[in-house]
Amino acid sequence: MAQRAVWLISHEPGTPRCGTVKFSRRYPTVEKRASVHNGANYVPVPEDGPFLKALLSELRLLGDDKDFVESRDSCSRINKTSIYGLPVGSEELWPVVAFLKNDMIYACVPLVEQTLNPRPPLISISGISQGLELLFGIQDFLYSGQKSDTELNTKLSQLPELLLQACPFGTLLDANLQNSLDNVGFASVTQPQKQPAWRAGTYKGKPQVSISITEKVKSMQYGKQDIADTWQVVGAVTCKCDLEGFMPNVTVSLHLPTNGSPLQDILVHPCVTSLDSAILTSSSVDGMDDSAFSGPYKFPFIPPLESFNLCYYTSQVPVPPILGFYQIKEEDIQLKITVNLKLHESIKNTFEFCEAHIPFYNRGPITHLEYKVSFGQLEVFREKGLLVWIIGQKFPKSMDISLSGTVTFGAKSHEKQPFDPICIGGTAYLKLHFRILDYTLTGCYADQHSVQVFASGKPKISTHRKLISSDYYIWNSKAPAPVTYGSLLLKQRQPIKSVRCTLLENCKSGAENDEAQHSIL
Amino acid sequence: MGPPSREAWAQRLGAFRASPCAFLAGPQGEDLGRELLSDLRSDKLSEQTKVSLLALSLEYAAQLWPDAPAAEAAAASLLDTLVLLPPRPSALRRPLLLAATTALAAGGALGPASGAACRLLPLLLGLALGRDLGRGFGPASEQRPLQATACECLRELESCQPGLLRASLGPLRAGLAQEGPVQPLSLLLALALHNALALQPRAGAGLQGLLTARVAAAGDSPWSWTLAGDSDVPFEPQAPSWPEAEEGARGLLALELSPEESRELRATVAQLLDASYLLAPVAQAQLLWLLCRALRGLRGQPPALFKPQLVRLLGTAHPGCPAPGPAPPHPPLLPPLPPELPRKLSAGPRRRGGRPAAARAPAVPRPPAPALCTSPQPSLARLHLLCLLCAEDTEEDDRGQGGSPQRYLEELLAGLRQRAALDGGPRAWATLCFQASYLVAHCLAGQPAVLTPLVRGLAQLYRARPVLAPHFVDLLDRVGPELGEPLRVALCREVVSRPGGDAALGWHLQVLARVVGAGSQSATLHFLQAAAAHCPDWGLQQALLRVCRALLGSGGGGGLADLLQALARWLEDPDGRDHARLYYVLLAHLAGPKLGLALGPSLAAPAMASSLVAENQGFAAALMVREAAAPMRLSVGPRVATGPCPVLQLQVEALEPAYSLELRFRVEGQLYAPLGAVHVPCLCPSRPASPLLLPLQPRRPAPTRLHVQALYTTPAGLTCHARLPPLTVTFSHLFLPFPQAPRGAEPGFFEELWDSCLPGGAESRVWCALGPQGLETLVSCHLEPFVVAARPPASYHVAIRLPPDSKLLLRLEAPQVDGVPVALRTDDWALLPLAADYLRGLSAAA
Repeated sequence: MAQRAVWLISHEPGTPRCGTVKFSRRYPTVEKRASVHNGANYVPVPEDGPFLKALLSELRLLGDDKDFVESRDSCSRINKTSIYGLPVGSEELWPVVAFLKNDMIYACVPLVEQTLNPRPPLISISGISQGLELLFGIQDFLYSGQKSDTELNTKLSQLPELLLQACPFGTLLDANLQNSLDNVGFASVTQPQKQPAWRAGTYKGKPQVSISITEKVKSMQYGKQDIADTWQVVGAVTCKCDLEGFMPNVTVSLHLPTNGSPLQDILVHPCVTSLDSAILTSSSVDGMDDSAFSGPYKFPFIPPLESFNLCYYTSQVPVPPILGFYQIKEEDIQLKITVNLKLHESIKNTFEFCEAHIPFYNRGPITHLEYKVSFGQLEVFREKGLLVWIIGQKFPKSMDISLSGTVTFGAKSHEKQPFDPICIGGTAYLKLHFRILDYTLTGCYADQHSVQVFASGKPKISTHRKLISSDYYIWNSKAPAPVTYGSLLLKQRQPIKSVRCTLLENCKSGAENDEAQHSIL
Repeated sequence: MGPPSREAWAQRLGAFRASPCAFLAGPQGEDLGRELLSDLRSDKLSEQTKVSLLALSLEYAAQLWPDAPAAEAAAASLLDTLVLLPPRPSALRRPLLLAATTALAAGGALGPASGAACRLLPLLLGLALGRDLGRGFGPASEQRPLQATACECLRELESCQPGLLRASLGPLRAGLAQEGPVQPLSLLLALALHNALALQPRAGAGLQGLLTARVAAAGDSPWSWTLAGDSDVPFEPQAPSWPEAEEGARGLLALELSPEESRELRATVAQLLDASYLLAPVAQAQLLWLLCRALRGLRGQPPALFKPQLVRLLGTAHPGCPAPGPAPPHPPLLPPLPPELPRKLSAGPRRRGGRPAAARAPAVPRPPAPALCTSPQPSLARLHLLCLLCAEDTEEDDRGQGGSPQRYLEELLAGLRQRAALDGGPRAWATLCFQASYLVAHCLAGQPAVLTPLVRGLAQLYRARPVLAPHFVDLLDRVGPELGEPLRVALCREVVSRPGGDAALGWHLQVLARVVGAGSQSATLHFLQAAAAHCPDWGLQQALLRVCRALLGSGGGGGLADLLQALARWLEDPDGRDHARLYYVLLAHLAGPKLGLALGPSLAAPAMASSLVAENQGFAAALMVREAAAPMRLSVGPRVATGPCPVLQLQVEALEPAYSLELRFRVEGQLYAPLGAVHVPCLCPSRPASPLLLPLQPRRPAPTRLHVQALYTTPAGLTCHARLPPLTVTFSHLFLPFPQAPRGAEPGFFEELWDSCLPGGAESRVWCALGPQGLETLVSCHLEPFVVAARPPASYHVAIRLPPDSKLLLRLEAPQVDGVPVALRTDDWALLPLAADYLRGLSAAA
């Protein structure tokens, strides 16, 4: 369970070598162990130059992809993991964990504490999981709060010292490098108390605890008889606990309203000290899940100093907050579009903002638009081929709004207009962006009076809630759309069928409504 | 000369890191290790520079001090430097400890003979246990970090020399119970315990005593070098491969603990587990991994010990935690995920409603939704699972249902093809599409219901984007015939239906060279003829010729010869013309199957020569002649009595196909001149063969036997040799007529010949028996061509020329009821018995 070497490589397409090693670290003691464990199949870790070249080639990052290259593009060369074998001389260095993120390649070579021939299953190599943790940790450190290249370079320059703390001999001690950074400058008096490894120092100041629940709702709506719409809520509880003492204890309880759908797929932060197994048994994967547990969900923990995500959860809410219908008819050079949106009556009708983005991909710029909206305003970004329907802070009393219009496009030029691999032909979507404060779709809340804190001083406790949209798509019902496997299987579920019918009727009648016509040239 | 300045060192370190091997081989490399050690004590260098020097030694210890003595000396020097540090805070103590540890472990110097090791180990243990090291080893504020560092150093040494800390288990446990730093001590104790248990059967000493000792046994060194130094087993792999582990590699070292030992061990494990929540997540993972491995198979250590911690960890958002027994399936296989997503959630989409077992997320594939367009790895993994699901569904005979996984798979593939078809899209999209097709062909090869739409879709993709031709060729090369054959046919049809002057002609030709085959040749030739006019450059011409060559390999075809001849004239490029001509020559001279073989197995081989001399076994076998049974029967047909020399007409009856047949004849005795071989291009049992004519050149006009050998090629391209039964050349086979005498002069001509035979020749009389048909029939059947003068039905004068220069004259006159007297004369007396036999033969036949 150790790493033989770690690299950070910036991917620089267009330069002669296509990349630069920004950071590398080798562990000779682990290398020594590798040579014993791997015996005749031992391949030494190469120097940075050859490693860079082999890795870029393996990751298909060397140069352009104008030509078909069999070693790279062959259909049978399928790798479903981030684990690679790199040619080093006439031998192969394996396993190499590597991935590309934000133009940075993160790579390491885990120690395999057994013979390499035959290759052991990945699952039996504990160093691979640890390697991924280390690389994720480096990635989190480099990109948390980092905004400019200067900051990135500063953080890169801190890496050698940080790894000396967090991974002195190739065995990772803490994936949270920020903790190690705090440790570096930490020179307090000897602490006789036990202290969690993730809580490097102590807080001095006014005690306060902040708990916020953020729910993200995703949806795919198709407006088709044979494909079921899907929606999903993912919640995250974020905490920041400014409390004095080495080991303050906090217990947060999440509550649900009566008859609320239970929380599922709960995942907690490692600082949670104990967990009722009833909390863990509810899972969305299990189709027959009918567990009776519906809270309260208690999470006792010793908080880290920084802000952290106490837990994540999902839930199966009965309806999507906004039900939509989108239809495009292609008529000669024009597109005739119709949109209907309906806010469910149970949803809090007070938005921080609510917008529907209607992009038109793989076409030219918008040259002409005629439209009418029953509510809100429409903004047109002609060059981008984008319509933004600003619905604002509230739906009207009817909870039902519509947009119809015709759009004309100019000639397509590849450089300027947005290109999309999905929205080809009639396939198109509108995407809803909204945020509702002090509200959760599941009804989940943290009662500030139920938060228990065992620490010196009486802390100020604040709680927040919000619902935000994320990947909320409504697809053109007249064309094929990407569907999830699950949505194809669901034939019997039509709780909102009647609503859908109403929407369709509204849509038809909406065309005859005599509303103000807008025209843009 | 003073030590190099900070800048000089920075420069040197930079040059070293760029290429350590090159640097060490260079002039500056020799003294680097030594200077580094001495400069660590220099007053002129800042701590910062010294830290960077130590960082280098941490990474490249094995290069700087490659052998054990050098490593030992380096470690000793580093320890000296450490001891000489003034008692004020310094950033050097930690890295010095790490560097000394690294030098010893990486250099292989760790052992009882190492003075440095004997100094370092007590120092580290003292630090780790928070003992007062006298004279204040560094200020109090540094104790805590140094304590953690010492633990890490000890852990690394224990990893490299398992069993090293066996005697220190008790003190470590006591240290953990006190106020020591939890994580470093926990991990160190867990590793030492793991190794102690692994080595226990050989160690002999009681575990209980080791675990309870507050200090290392008095008088006994805490370093069990005898155990750790055992070079036979320097490492006990902490993670032997999974199945092996399950079968009980431990079984060999079955460990029987006394009840007291079990109790003490359980208490130690519980102590470690209870404090484990204070460890960082990755450290918790290591701790549990080590403890699970250590306790596997041990009696008296109930798994329930782990339960509370495992329940807690199963619900945590960080992967990488091992469980006892089967490991968690996800962490090593998960591709990088956006950090803001909880990892468990992002493994698959949510589904609503019920669906039985097979479709459990994260196995459920996710569609290529706009925001979800991730790297191809997860897409392929999901697609693979979907394929397995389809295979399972078919087994359940759950087909034809709307919304079946099969339909979903089709839609998914269609989506991928649609993306790949986008003009100007990146190659990765195309690659993904073809990888997906390959996976489907691989997993669902036996399912036409899946493959048929796949073939149709791929053909459409080709129509939309011929530039993907190399991907198609690659796919055809990799998939089995279930997909390959229909796809080949579909693509061939797709290409040849195009006009010849298509802008994508180069791609079409590339695909065509791979897909041409039997059944589509006329359309292909038609396409090629049209295309030939649009191949101005060398590349296109070569592509065209490659298709011709592929056609040659698949047996050619009627129009191919014409096309090749035309190309040999039209093409501007001499190389192209040469190739066309060569192919034409090959086509014209080699039988089809042999042609295919001559062209070699690889279509990609650029030149003929290379494939002709290919050193492959099949080709060598083809060059060897092998004995075989005769593929035909040979018999002598009716006499052909024309021309200047006798010709034997041979009837051939083919028994099996033979190509390039060569018949060789050898005359028994020296009676005839050697006979030339007879060549037959092709013999086929279903087709009647025309008779073969074998000219004979007798040196003496005598009958003989011909020995016959056949050399031919089988349809498989093998060359075979066969001996045929000998053929008999009879006397009469040599008969030739005399040139026709002028009309009316025949009797005189015959009399002239008759008279010329004597006196050198011989005369005889023979009684020739006649059958019921009479003399007229006899003559017309056997002697017709040689009759010079006749008065049917009573008198016939027969003159026979016998090469090389003999004659035989017969008078058949005044037949009686049962025979005819024959007067015969010849200029060669040796012919008389032959002639007599011949005539007697005639009468016998009659």
